[in-house]
Amino acid sequence: MDLLLQTLINGILAAGIYALVASGLALAVGVVGIVNFAHGEFSMIGAFVSYLLFVGAGIDPLISLGLAALVLFVVGAITYYGLIRPVLAAPELNQMLLTFGISVALQNIALLLFGADTRVVSTSYQGATITLGGISFGAPPFAAFVLSVGLLGALYWFLGKTRLGFAVRAVAQNRLAPGLLGIETQQIYLLAFGLSAALAGIAGVMLSVMLYASPTVGFAYTLKAFAIIVMAGLGNLRGVVPAAITLALAEAFVSTYVPGGGGWVEAVFFLVIFVALTWRSWRLS
Amino acid sequence: MKKVLVVLLAVLGLAGLALAQTTVRVGVLLPISTVAGKAALNGVQLGVDQVNAGGKVKIELVVVDDGNAPAAAVPALTKLMTVDRVDIVIGGLASGVTFALSGPVKQYNPLFLCIGAASSVVEQAFSDYGRFFHYHPWDYHNVAAALSFFKSLYDGGARRVAILYEDGPFGSAGIQTYRQQLQNQGYTVQAEPFKSGSGSFTAILTRLKSFRPDILYWIGYDVDALPIAAQTRQVGLEPKLIYGAPPAWPLGFEKNNLSNDVAGMTAWLPSVANNESRRFVTLYRRKYNEITDEYMAPMGYVIALSLGKAVEAANSADKDRIAAELAKVQMDTPFGPLSFKPSDTGKTRFQGFNQSIWLQFQYLEGSRRPVFPANRAARPLRYPGNY
Repeated sequence: MDLLLQTLINGILAAGIYALVASGLALAVGVVGIVNFAHGEFSMIGAFVSYLLFVGAGIDPLISLGLAALVLFVVGAITYYGLIRPVLAAPELNQMLLTFGISVALQNIALLLFGADTRVVSTSYQGATITLGGISFGAPPFAAFVLSVGLLGALYWFLGKTRLGFAVRAVAQNRLAPGLLGIETQQIYLLAFGLSAALAGIAGVMLSVMLYASPTVGFAYTLKAFAIIVMAGLGNLRGVVPAAITLALAEAFVSTYVPGGGGWVEAVFFLVIFVALTWRSWRLS
Repeated sequence: MKKVLVVLLAVLGLAGLALAQTTVRVGVLLPISTVAGKAALNGVQLGVDQVNAGGKVKIELVVVDDGNAPAAAVPALTKLMTVDRVDIVIGGLASGVTFALSGPVKQYNPLFLCIGAASSVVEQAFSDYGRFFHYHPWDYHNVAAALSFFKSLYDGGARRVAILYEDGPFGSAGIQTYRQQLQNQGYTVQAEPFKSGSGSFTAILTRLKSFRPDILYWIGYDVDALPIAAQTRQVGLEPKLIYGAPPAWPLGFEKNNLSNDVAGMTAWLPSVANNESRRFVTLYRRKYNEITDEYMAPMGYVIALSLGKAVEAANSADKDRIAAELAKVQMDTPFGPLSFKPSDTGKTRFQGFNQSIWLQFQYLEGSRRPVFPANRAARPLRYPGNY
């Protein structure tokens, strides 16, 4: 029974960071309508911002969260304005090739600047443990989960309760009509893409605490984020948390209960994508 | 008239010196964007400085980046051979890259001085190549050294080993043999694969709790070091020793509290107390204003020095004459004595170091300290460790 509970907790906590990465991606897909393959590289930049501030100025990664979000918002806004905006009317394949190119370019810039080595920050709380009865879990994953839920709650509130949020949702639903009502579509896109990158940056800071900073740190999480948004339905922000929990629980159960399951973890998200797409096609037919 | 004679004699003297000096161009093919590759290059350059300062041999280096990837390494080697026209290549740090280079090396036939590439797959790939000098121990030497350490841990009361191995070629090659050898020593072993870089170990570590391992032994990459150290504590596994076997450790890991008491294996540390090691540390610090923990630095240094000796003895830039002299080289190094013999399996003819160069270390108070074997230990192993 303890093992089952521990597995459930492990899965749910892992879902926090997954949801954080995936919600940014869902925002880019849902509002701007672009599949951003460079989303993981925004997380990588966040991880390096955290690492550099820690090494250069001794700033704790938790304090870097806000700065990393701001930096990534600016990076996202510049990327949108300079690169994404010109291809918005282009075929989807062109858009995907562009974001794939941005991903490769950002990874290689990081390689040139920092090399291929793995770098770690050092905080007093990285190994901190919370114990409840016979169950124990890490404080950083728990904090990442709480942060993720909080940020996503704030995002839902913003989208559901504010005029700007209404405008974002309007643009997500129809690209032309909001313009007729005086909503600046391009500014909404810029805001959404910037927010998407900022969320990735925050996830990157958490990754620097829980894992490491390296040019490739974002890649694995991009793949998982794609599985999550496919499961949630492309652009469906409300489906992100349940989908992230489903994926993380599936991974935790496979790891714990399938012999040699640790090696199968990465296959789980492919299975999730396969099942979600097949089931959706079957339901529509 | 006198002046003319002096000048003439000086010119003749310099010409004589030039004639006595043998110049060789050497290609260096390393992943210079990685810490290990950069350290190796620094070591090679330091050794070349020393050789060139001797005056009898002049080594000119042509450095190219192998990108730590076969796709970059093969064209880089081709450039060295066809554009730069070198006859000697120092390189081959990563096994996967070196394996991919085996075909092109045989095509162009350079004298290939291999700095790393421990995998037996590489040994097999170069088994029919006579100009292959492998300095680094092979993987079976690494296993032998680690097993010797595990034997001492068994004698100290350890009985159960949990092995976490990454499921790629690096981690899973020979895992069954390894498991068997540990069982032969008397250990109860549970082995679990994982996906390197996933950062997700809590589930596997949770399952291992019921096994109650004395030693948590992980075989993976630098990206796995911190998550394993953190999540071991987070799930309350409480092994008596965490022992890691990555090719390199993450930058800054030693400053992280989670590294404390984590053990591993390396071929050299700056604190190694032999004359050549101390000399290397002094020279390295003088040239680079720092010292490195990366054993690839002294490995590069040793390769350059041994090559210098061979060129001097050959008194020629001909690669076969140099190879013949290199095969006879005997020298003291920061790792201990170096001489070339056929590899233990007999597949390659020129094997430099073996398991005797490996030492076990433990992260203690922010640095790596040698703890085994006893004759090279700077302090005793802290067992059980505090995780």
